[in-house]
Amino acid sequence: MNLALRIYLRMAQAFPHEFKLLYGTDVMQLGEDVVEEIAKQRGVAGLIRLIADIAIRVPLEYLSEMRRDMRYAVRALIKSPGFALVGIVSLGLGMGVTTSVFSRTWAQMFRGLPAVANSQDLVMPQNPVSYYYTEQYRAQKGLFVGVAAFQTGVPFNVAFQSNGNAKPQRVFGQLVSPEYFSVLGVKPQRGRVLNPEMDKPGDAPVVVITDRFWRNRLNSSPDALGQTLRLNGQPATIVGITPKDFKGAMPIAPTELFVPVTVPAALAPELANDVLHKRDAKQFLALMRLAAGVTIESAEAGLDTVTRHLDEQDLSNPKRNDKGRRVTLLAGGTVLPIPRALKPVVIAFVAVLTGLVLTIACMNLANMLLARGAARRKELAIRLAVGASRFRLIRQMMSEGVLIAMLGGVAGFGLAYWLSILSSQIKLPQAVPEEIDNAMDWHALVFTFALAIMCGIGFSLVPALQATKADVAPTLKEGAAIQLRGYRRFGMRNLLVVGQVAGSLMLLLMTGFLVMGINKMSNIQTKFDPTRMYLLSIDPVRDGYSPEKAQALFEKLPERLKGVGAVRSIALAAEAPFSIVGRTAQLSAAKDSRDPSKKLKLVAKETVGAGYFATLSEPMLAGREFSEADQRIEILADGSKAVGLPIVLNESAARGLFGNGNAVGQRVTEDKQSYDVVGVVGDLKNGVPDDDQPASVMYLPLTRRDFASPPAGGMTIMVRSDAGIDALGGVRREIASIDPNLAVFDVRTLAEYLQTSRAFMRLALDMYGGIGLFGLVLAAIGLAGVTAYAVARRRKEIGIRMALGARKVQVLGLVLREGAALVTVGTALGFLGAMALVKMLSALTSVFSDAFNLSTNDPRLVVGAPLLLAALAMLACYIPARRSMKIDPVKALRQE
Amino acid sequence: MPKIDPQSFLPLKTQWFHIMLTLAGGEQHGYGIMQEVLERSAGKVRLWPATLYGSIKRLMEAGLIAESDERPAPELDDARRRYYRLTNFGRRVLEAESDRLQELVHAIRVKRAMVSQ
Repeated sequence: MNLALRIYLRMAQAFPHEFKLLYGTDVMQLGEDVVEEIAKQRGVAGLIRLIADIAIRVPLEYLSEMRRDMRYAVRALIKSPGFALVGIVSLGLGMGVTTSVFSRTWAQMFRGLPAVANSQDLVMPQNPVSYYYTEQYRAQKGLFVGVAAFQTGVPFNVAFQSNGNAKPQRVFGQLVSPEYFSVLGVKPQRGRVLNPEMDKPGDAPVVVITDRFWRNRLNSSPDALGQTLRLNGQPATIVGITPKDFKGAMPIAPTELFVPVTVPAALAPELANDVLHKRDAKQFLALMRLAAGVTIESAEAGLDTVTRHLDEQDLSNPKRNDKGRRVTLLAGGTVLPIPRALKPVVIAFVAVLTGLVLTIACMNLANMLLARGAARRKELAIRLAVGASRFRLIRQMMSEGVLIAMLGGVAGFGLAYWLSILSSQIKLPQAVPEEIDNAMDWHALVFTFALAIMCGIGFSLVPALQATKADVAPTLKEGAAIQLRGYRRFGMRNLLVVGQVAGSLMLLLMTGFLVMGINKMSNIQTKFDPTRMYLLSIDPVRDGYSPEKAQALFEKLPERLKGVGAVRSIALAAEAPFSIVGRTAQLSAAKDSRDPSKKLKLVAKETVGAGYFATLSEPMLAGREFSEADQRIEILADGSKAVGLPIVLNESAARGLFGNGNAVGQRVTEDKQSYDVVGVVGDLKNGVPDDDQPASVMYLPLTRRDFASPPAGGMTIMVRSDAGIDALGGVRREIASIDPNLAVFDVRTLAEYLQTSRAFMRLALDMYGGIGLFGLVLAAIGLAGVTAYAVARRRKEIGIRMALGARKVQVLGLVLREGAALVTVGTALGFLGAMALVKMLSALTSVFSDAFNLSTNDPRLVVGAPLLLAALAMLACYIPARRSMKIDPVKALRQE
Repeated sequence: MPKIDPQSFLPLKTQWFHIMLTLAGGEQHGYGIMQEVLERSAGKVRLWPATLYGSIKRLMEAGLIAESDERPAPELDDARRRYYRLTNFGRRVLEAESDRLQELVHAIRVKRAMVSQ
């Protein structure tokens, strides 16, 4: 009983201060009075009930107090809508950007694949491997419970049997080994998925479709199972439908079909040339599920050893004795598998950038709250004097901050949502369309909420502590004009201003560097009007052409199209010009290949047809460009050619390999393949630079092999036409007259193509630029607020000075000097900070160093940004400082 | 006294109703309220101390009860305790609640009469 009473009394102490003042003694008294009686009547259960009652009431009292604080805060905000608006907007922007970046990073790098079991156990090597290797990997039972191979972004021309007349549709899918679904742990929604027992080479071709294909293209038909589709002209039977959200591994490219690798090459040209059995046909991505207890590190080490052994067995592999790591494993169960080493870099960059934005926004609000707190000193002093606890007042002031932050959080979440919709609408003009699911989930909501509370507490704690620190007596006596101690030296407000200026300059410089760098990288200039060039794609092999028939078509097509009116020139290419080229090669000048200092050069590979450069109005600097004769070159079955394949180098590549000597007529090698340089062309900007030499490109001729198995985007036909005449209709008619069943897709002008290809970059630019400007505006607002406050606070001093004969300009100078000192210190610190950050980020990864290298020397930024910021800051000081000139000394002095 | 419609407090929370009902008979202190409610309900309703004072605080804030300045006769007065009384507004709310309860009881009776016929 005594114990119960002691607990009860101790808990009564925990009531909020105000409640305790009013009812504390009563509650304790009553407890003492009744405890004996309760123990007698109800025993231990009664005592427990007594304690439970108070244990519930204490937090309830706190809650009701918080509710009151919130109501009070709402009223306070309604009374000063300007303050509330600035706070909500600035925090909303800050949190919106942060949430958007967080949610995208989360969705791409950490969220597990939809409909996949235990996606954290999935790994995949960074580089493509041959099918043969994946079969060897499968034998490593100690490391993996399952290994699958797949190719993603594989186009199929799909014709529906029920609807014979309709044009075939171009659908992207994956070519997968039969183990694929068991490795992913995906069960079918209907029918069956592929599995190694049932899907063997030589069986009648089957296909598994996604829920999306079933809904959109088969109208959710109940008899879809067993139906036969024509894929690239060959029949295949639908045996199963995957679950609703399943999008396959690496769902960056839209995937609607899963075709087993056991189908004949006629159905999937990707399987031609016996790639399944060739050791060096590195055309597949491997996907493994780790065995229980195996870490990704140990799997990587084990796989590295296995791969080394496999490489060493292959005597024709020139790299078989290379040292260094061969396999890097990525988290295969995420949308965008990136190397593990890169993850902290990406996270650090994102954290630094968004952290800066949020810090500036918070500092700004802290500053405004400080000013408000100072204006309310008298009110607070009175409340302290009549018995309010300091803790209570701090909580009340902070609830105002938290409320602003919450409203800002709501605005921010809305902004982030809008950004995610915006970015999902952007389509990159790639051969295989990209489709990244940036949809926000509850993680983002929790994140924003936590962020809001953190920000709210972060920026309102210090002002609340400051405001309630006042000694009651002098504040009441002197009123609001009391001097804050140490204001002139290192007062909190001065630190905030310096921090804010420094932070926003850092942000401005960083984003500026990125913007200019990206802009320079993506600046594409054509030598002619890009609206006068049409790009069309055809893919005859997937329309059911045999390789021979396709070759014949491409032989006669350019001649036929040149005959169309208004067509000035025409060329074929494997990719649209100025596209982002993924394939690279390590070239060396053959002559000194024995030389240890042999010149190796990483170049991008593009495959182009006859007349390509003439069609782009790009003159040859030396030698010749490809002719129709080059397009007839036969490549041997092992991918080589008896004589060297002719290639064209661009200027950068030629200079890199041969210095200033003549490149034409020289021989270069890539692995065991050798090429003869027949021409050198000027550097065409192609968008994305490589690490060391941004624009080195080798151009390979289109050959009969390319015509027999065109790339995933089909073959691109470039048509230059005369101004003012629409050549497109004629071209389309001509193609239809050759074969009405030939599907023509991805039709657009070069201008349209370039515009969409830059849309993504532009979004990034707008975003970074927006963040930088946003920081600038915030800093200006903050500074204006501080100066206005300083002027108001020094009315009396200024009044005395003016009464003693100070001129208006002198007074203005006095006020501005203080601001200028703060701005100068902040600018210097910010400049140093930005440079340090640039160094740090550049050291971490080449992605940043490329962008930074192109721009950190730009005087427009290095000099311009600090000047712009300083000028804006001084303007922000000047406007409120002007008010100091209007102070009437008589009034100012009488006021006290 | 705030100009609030007494109806807006209905139905009254159980504890509020018991406290107000007790105070309808005259001012009383916390312990007295607790005892009277206990007796009136034959031991079924016990207002636990913390809940009692939490309710008193809210009743005071709502203006339904007030602290009483009058003290009872000196020989009955317990100097340590604070006394509470029903305000006029509180009385109106209590009456509105009794009306509501009566109507309920009436409705039940009518129903029962219909069923038994």
